[in-house]
Amino acid sequence: MKRDKKRKGKKSNYKNRLSLFQRPDIRFNRSCPLSVKDAPSIDYKNIKLLRKYISDTGKILPSRITSVCQNKQRKLSSAIKKAKILGLV
Amino acid sequence: MAFYEHTFVGKQDLSDKEIDNLVSKYSDIIKKSGKILKTEKWGLLNLATKIKRNRKGIFIHFKFEGKNKIVKDIEKKLSIENGIIRYLTVKYNKLDLNKEYFNFKKKNKFYEKR
Repeated sequence: MKRDKKRKGKKSNYKNRLSLFQRPDIRFNRSCPLSVKDAPSIDYKNIKLLRKYISDTGKILPSRITSVCQNKQRKLSSAIKKAKILGLV
Repeated sequence: MAFYEHTFVGKQDLSDKEIDNLVSKYSDIIKKSGKILKTEKWGLLNLATKIKRNRKGIFIHFKFEGKNKIVKDIEKKLSIENGIIRYLTVKYNKLDLNKEYFNFKKKNKFYEKR
């Protein structure tokens, strides 16, 4: 996809670090925590998992900080929005 | 025949009697042309934000199988019901029935922390 091509160039040099001064190899090869073997299932009822991926003011954390892979991040954000509708999160 | 998960949130001052006839009313609608797989009472949970001026809500959860006509009937009736503040229906192509997230046999310390 065009979007990926644009992001690929930027993604390589500041892969997953927050600020310029942070040493780049601190979290270089962090794998996605949700695609390990027996990861918790992403569901709008599973608020214990959802609460890990939202900030304290209720915003959804970006995947470059939580290093979640792209399709899990999509599932996560739709589950979080459903939980917000019901007022669970 | 798709699988649906329907939850609705009742006001906190609903008595048990009102909740029971709410549950029976909507399960009859589902039973007319569908099949209820599971009903769950999540009980009184405190809401993240204030919805229509109440902080706590009573959650009722249905898992059923049926046509989308059922969902239209339920949501039409739910919107005019005054005891209900929020509802959500989710369509699935397959459901796992055994996973339960809200059965607090013991007092769950998770909710005190908030």
